[in-house]
Amino acid sequence: MKRLAVLIFVLVALAQLAVPASIVWKRGQTLAHGRVWKFKTEPVDPIDAIRGRYIALRLAAEKARATPDPLFKDVAGPVFVTLKEDPEGFAQVDQISTERITGDNVIQVENGYWSDGWQRVRFPFDKLWVAEKIAPQAEQAYRENSRRGKENAYVTVRIRNGDAALEQLYIDNKPLADYLRDQEMKKPATP
Amino acid sequence: MVGSINPRAVRWLRGQLPELVAAGAISSESAAAIERHYGSVESRGNFGFVILATVGAALVGAGIILLIAHNWDDLSRATRTIIAFIPLLIAQALVFFVLMRRNESRPWREAVAIFDVAAVATAISLISQTYQIQGTFDAFMRIWLVLSIPIVYLLRTTLGAIVYVVGTMVWLFNHWTLFGGPQNPNFFWLFLLLVIPYFLIRYRQLRDSRETVALAMVLALATIVALGFTAEYAKADIGSVAFAGLMTTIYLAGMKFFARTDKRLSALALLGGIGLGVTAIVLSFESIWRMSSRDLEWAKRSAEANLSLAIELLFPLATVCLAGWDLFRREWRFSLPAAAFPIIAAFAWTITNLCDYVNTSTRCSFAAATIINCYTLLLGIDILGRGIRTNSIARANFGLLLIAALAIARFFDSDLSFVTRGIGFIVVGAGFLVANIVLFKKRGATA
Repeated sequence: MKRLAVLIFVLVALAQLAVPASIVWKRGQTLAHGRVWKFKTEPVDPIDAIRGRYIALRLAAEKARATPDPLFKDVAGPVFVTLKEDPEGFAQVDQISTERITGDNVIQVENGYWSDGWQRVRFPFDKLWVAEKIAPQAEQAYRENSRRGKENAYVTVRIRNGDAALEQLYIDNKPLADYLRDQEMKKPATP
Repeated sequence: MVGSINPRAVRWLRGQLPELVAAGAISSESAAAIERHYGSVESRGNFGFVILATVGAALVGAGIILLIAHNWDDLSRATRTIIAFIPLLIAQALVFFVLMRRNESRPWREAVAIFDVAAVATAISLISQTYQIQGTFDAFMRIWLVLSIPIVYLLRTTLGAIVYVVGTMVWLFNHWTLFGGPQNPNFFWLFLLLVIPYFLIRYRQLRDSRETVALAMVLALATIVALGFTAEYAKADIGSVAFAGLMTTIYLAGMKFFARTDKRLSALALLGGIGLGVTAIVLSFESIWRMSSRDLEWAKRSAEANLSLAIELLFPLATVCLAGWDLFRREWRFSLPAAAFPIIAAFAWTITNLCDYVNTSTRCSFAAATIINCYTLLLGIDILGRGIRTNSIARANFGLLLIAALAIARFFDSDLSFVTRGIGFIVVGAGFLVANIVLFKKRGATA
């Protein structure tokens, strides 16, 4: 009886380890081999920009259609979109489907409904976890570079077989950490 | 003295029992009696310690996470990945230790079980954060529940089972609004089924222990909430019958399976009784019986909605089986009007469906509500009567409360004409008076 319990526990323990391990493996593969897409960020509501230790991202490509799409009217499940690049090299939604499709340009999204004159989708990456130490500076930098008139931020996302891995936030074409370091160095030294 | 018993000594003694029996020093009956004696000692004496041990395990787990989080930001992704697994590995090592060496110690089992399921959640969260995974909370809860339920069985933890049921509720609430619309709640019933065998094992071993009763109550409450979601999703307008069935089933199960030697109600029967009363009052409103949809044709509906409908119908069926069995064997202890509730509700449902669907008050919806009003009055009087017979002030008051609630409900039911309201009031008021007269006469007679 005890031996059976231990045997079952070994299987359970392996399953418990396998779940986080599989995330590590799948994400690792996507980050290593996925196709890179750039998503331009949108002006954000300053109050909404940071919540604890993550930056709430607002991505321009979530505005999927300028006209109401009948597909979204009654959809209560996942939606799949394919991406394409606009002339500036930023990702935008190409096709929309309720059928499962895969590829290095496919993301599963949620229905974002019709608001502010746009048919919206919601990407599965709207939060960027940042280190606690740099969170306040990161928030300020993101806010300053994601406002009307100065839209200077984008995120890179790697996509592989439908798995989308948020990679990096770029401000002024520099990775967030580098940008913050440069800003720090530009500051006049306090006496 | 229960408190002075050394658990180590008890463990040692238990280990010795088979040898003593084999050597002929004591009979196997004596061994079983000793086993039973210490079993009950453990269940009575350890509960407080179990809670403390569990809280302690949770705090230690949280402390480990905080220690890790302290330098989290400076670590590379690879280091963070390795560290995220450490609490889980420690917890698993502890589970292994308990299975091998402390399998008879409840505090150990309960505490380590909580530590392990918390460590699973921690590992998944930390990894998700490190790899910028933003999967839905829904998916996270689902996988967590699946990984946690085997621990409930392996470590025989009732607190763990209660936490698991609470987890299924959290999942259900979260899942319902996923993608913005009502989502198929049927998975909940599968999650709930996974813990039922554990409950049955517990019930067979320690029927009267507080934890078993607590688990039964939590299961009943979770079922009540989930049936609401299921009825909404099924869109069959038969929730009235389903709820009548569920509340009655809880009441009957409480009476039958948690019967008490004194004349008091078990906690489960009390919960079912209160639920039954509340449901009866709710169903006494005429607007409840206006049918909003009539797409009851099986084939036209989605398979998921049909499954929800089938689940709904299980509860009235359970009532019929439970009550029917006892009635057949002529040994019922429950209130007959209470047991008849789902049948009355089904009758009212049939009546209201005789009229064409117009989404307003019809003769049929009015007739259905009238049936329930009469029934609720009868139920109130019956409970009152039972209260008088068993000299239970609480029960008599509950009967009176039910009748009073019915009267108040009719007062606020603005859709009824003044004449109807007036007649209803006279009927309810007369019932109230008669009931009181009977109560006092009986009291006077017994005094």
